[in-house]
Amino acid sequence: MPFTAKSGKFNASIRSLTIGIGDKAITLGGECVLPFYSFDAAIENAPKVGIEITDCGMAAEPESVQKYYEGCTSVTDMAKRAAEFDGVDFLSLRLEGGDPNGLNKSIEELIRIVKDVAAAVDLPLVVCGCKSEKKDEELLSKAAEVLNGKNALLLAAKEENYKTVGAAGLACKQVVGAESSVDINLAKQLNVLLTQSGVDPQAIAMNIGSAAAGYGFEYVISTMDRIKAAALSQGDAALQMPIITPVACEVWSVKEVIASESDIPEWGSAKERGIDMEVETATAVLFSGSDAVILKHPESVATISKLIKELV
Amino acid sequence: MGKFVVIGERLSVTAPIINKAFTERDPEPILKRAKQQLDAGAVYLDVNIGPAQSDGADLMKWAVQLLQSEFDNVPLALDTSNKAAIEAGMSVYNRAKGKPIINSADAAGRIEYLDLAAANDAICIALCNGEGIAKDNDERMMYCQTLLERGLEQGMEAEDIWFDPLFLVVKGMQDKQMQILECIKMFSDMGLNSTGGLSNNSNGMPKHIRPIMDSALVAMAMMQGLTSAIVNPNDLRLMETIKSCDILKGNTLYADSYLEI
Repeated sequence: MPFTAKSGKFNASIRSLTIGIGDKAITLGGECVLPFYSFDAAIENAPKVGIEITDCGMAAEPESVQKYYEGCTSVTDMAKRAAEFDGVDFLSLRLEGGDPNGLNKSIEELIRIVKDVAAAVDLPLVVCGCKSEKKDEELLSKAAEVLNGKNALLLAAKEENYKTVGAAGLACKQVVGAESSVDINLAKQLNVLLTQSGVDPQAIAMNIGSAAAGYGFEYVISTMDRIKAAALSQGDAALQMPIITPVACEVWSVKEVIASESDIPEWGSAKERGIDMEVETATAVLFSGSDAVILKHPESVATISKLIKELV
Repeated sequence: MGKFVVIGERLSVTAPIINKAFTERDPEPILKRAKQQLDAGAVYLDVNIGPAQSDGADLMKWAVQLLQSEFDNVPLALDTSNKAAIEAGMSVYNRAKGKPIINSADAAGRIEYLDLAAANDAICIALCNGEGIAKDNDERMMYCQTLLERGLEQGMEAEDIWFDPLFLVVKGMQDKQMQILECIKMFSDMGLNSTGGLSNNSNGMPKHIRPIMDSALVAMAMMQGLTSAIVNPNDLRLMETIKSCDILKGNTLYADSYLEI
């Protein structure tokens, strides 16, 4: 009996979503197949790779990353440099200095940085909040205002603040990220709530949560797999938003990455450990359905970008 | 498994207001009812124009174009005993949102509706009935085989034949209800899709009872593997039950707002 290959093309597809403006704008999603199944149907928009810097500048970066930003004296300098690295599709600015339990920088100070960075680079921009949902309401709303016309991604609206952040995205025509911490039902619910509050489903991206490989990671993967399955095989319109996964902020804080070589010599080069962990984590989430990843180390960015180009 | 397919039954000549609108080609009552059904969660809309012997072809064309142009190519079930009207409806049907359903073939005089479905790449409802009501499930399954073979011979995919066990009215045929449910399980065990006019069970009951009976039956039938039903989507209790059963069966992913979507 002849073998007839069954196509894995679905009748449903992930919504396509554009971030940024002009020549550098990127489009996420659009696929009607499982990740990298380009043999079943063309994947029009390959997954995208973003690079992350923070409002804290050089001081917040690990040693192996600092090297790449040598000579930079401001966050804006770093943004310009980051934009030139090989394989960078977009820039992510994490406002971690705003964390009330950390540096607790003022919103004005942070917004100034957002403005400066946006003026310095023409890459699509992702603005990530601090760790406080409350503070993010104002922070991301102000960011949405100063980024007017940039079609930036606000990361993110959460269960606690989706009304305010969603409204800011809607009012200022930015893309809204919906963040659920590895909770598949909440991922769907947030999309429903944002949509009900008036945000266009075409302007929503999901951050369904992440973890560094080894840190509850199998749960991240199974959640992502199930979301893609529901979106494509069940045609669930409330889950057909593209997924963006911040990897850097998870990876660069685990002990396998930050332990020094003198403390644990048998683990080998700290730099390689960090890049390895970032590349491994990013690869896994891409193969589970992330349409974009956010990384920190320029070598990770170049590696993942090459991987994507070879496969799509 | 995919979500349960609700086929809205309210565009039917059995409703005087719709009958009149069909006759007079008056869009307004038809569009109003169509919208109510779609808003409530209907996937397909049944368009029952009756026998429509004189102007069936013209009427079906008009109805298909009216509904599909107003509601983004909403998928439709073309429901009439006038074959030419079904053909005419399909000639103007846009399948962007789903194949047309032909409602319906049976194992007696209307078996050639399957040929029509095969020739037009349509879905066909196959009523497991010959002349008169089947006496037991042996007879229903014999009709099922006959219909399945006919469809496959004509080149249809099995998944495009939706078997209808013929839901029977409780008042008068209470003893047949479990048979029907067992029949659905047999369809399901064979991997077949199924549908039917489920609310027939509550015919003749007081108005306030019907949603309760229909909801109970749909839950039991979905447990047995029913994949679709031709029902009134504006029956809130029924739709809530279907949506909840879809969650429990894993046909759709749970979210707190699942009843609203």
